[in-house]
Amino acid sequence: MQQHSDIRDAEAHKLPFLGDKAPALPFPLSICFVSSLLLPNSSLSLQEPLSALAAEYQSGSPILLQKIKLLSDQYAAIRRTRGDGNCFFRSFMFAYLEHILQTQDRTEVDRVKLNVEECRKTLQSLGYADFTFEDFFALFLEQLDNALQGNDDSISHEELVTRSRDQSVSDYIVMFFRFVTSGEIRKRSAFFEPFILGLTNATVEQFCKSSVEPMGEESDHVHITALSDALGVPIRVVYLDRSSCDTGEVAVNHHDFVPASDGNPAKVAEGTTKPFVTLLYRPGHYDILYPK
Amino acid sequence: MQASRARLFKEYKEVQREKSADPDIQLVCDDSNIFKWTALIKGPSETPFDGGVFQLAFAVPEQYPLQPPQVRFLTKIFHPNVHFKTGEICLDILKNAWSPAWTLQSVCRAIIALMAHPEPDSPLNCDSGNLLRSGDVRGYQSMARMYTRLAASPKKG
Repeated sequence: MQQHSDIRDAEAHKLPFLGDKAPALPFPLSICFVSSLLLPNSSLSLQEPLSALAAEYQSGSPILLQKIKLLSDQYAAIRRTRGDGNCFFRSFMFAYLEHILQTQDRTEVDRVKLNVEECRKTLQSLGYADFTFEDFFALFLEQLDNALQGNDDSISHEELVTRSRDQSVSDYIVMFFRFVTSGEIRKRSAFFEPFILGLTNATVEQFCKSSVEPMGEESDHVHITALSDALGVPIRVVYLDRSSCDTGEVAVNHHDFVPASDGNPAKVAEGTTKPFVTLLYRPGHYDILYPK
Repeated sequence: MQASRARLFKEYKEVQREKSADPDIQLVCDDSNIFKWTALIKGPSETPFDGGVFQLAFAVPEQYPLQPPQVRFLTKIFHPNVHFKTGEICLDILKNAWSPAWTLQSVCRAIIALMAHPEPDSPLNCDSGNLLRSGDVRGYQSMARMYTRLAASPKKG
């Protein structure tokens, strides 16, 4: 087990926390282009087209290759995140903050801040001491404000990328999301309990202590549902796996995590029909997808 | 570094404020280094450690609280999950199950809970673990009690 995680760590560290955004290339790919992407070290520094994904599966399942081709019709680019168990939270962090930076949507920032305050109260009422989580909350709120332009401490897109690769910022924000997720699951434990029992044999509290709060613990649909609900941010997850329809026709499945509004529409971000955070899921890993 | 120092300072204030809240734990920060702490914990009642006072040493890494503190027993203890020579502790929250929701104080509470509920299937002290695994509870308890008397009992007079 230890050896397994050592290998995973070593593999994971070949990639920065967050990769470069890579444009999609027109399909079909010529084989020789594909093989040039397979050169050693290319995974780290080169800009990666969506088609680099195809290269990975070149000798693999034809279903996957077909699906990647379908993806390239709808999606322009992919940005990879490090496979260190935090990829869902890290992908969400960057995709969300990048959205704020690009849209300058102050209404959304104000809305999400109200939900963050709710999360703070949730943790307090669950008995968490303020000093255990407040630094993580403060850093996320700071990033939100910095993403809005027109202040002395406003940041550029480049700076957002730099920060997302800086462990002292990136890991703290991942941890902020872990606190928020854990608080939401425990607050609504009756709702989440059956899903958690389906995953493990643990109680809700054990699950949060062992599979949500520790860094490096991978995320499942329980985590995504809870985070999306807590912050009121819809998330689209596109699944790239080997499953195919009975009809023999290949289609790429996606699932939209649409937060519950609890009768208060102001709690949820706009765009519930087309979430602005889109992630690509391959068994065991999340990356960011950019729609065309 | 800055973040860990700030966090530890908050824990320090909390410990001062809550001093009497948990009479079984006495957590003290090194005078000159906020990354070094020691704790005195009371052996839980109805265990072979009852009546003993055990000293723990904390070395806090710069990445704290993202990384767990390193904790070991300075007082000799006969327990399946504590290394008999080094005092190293085998406890999930000090390794992969760590999260910043834990504090130095709550780590002490977890260690007290571990003293009362040993996990003989992941032993650092095989002799101790084997006694429990073979069902020799009496043997385990008398060994543990003997070391509590020898090493963890306040000297009289």
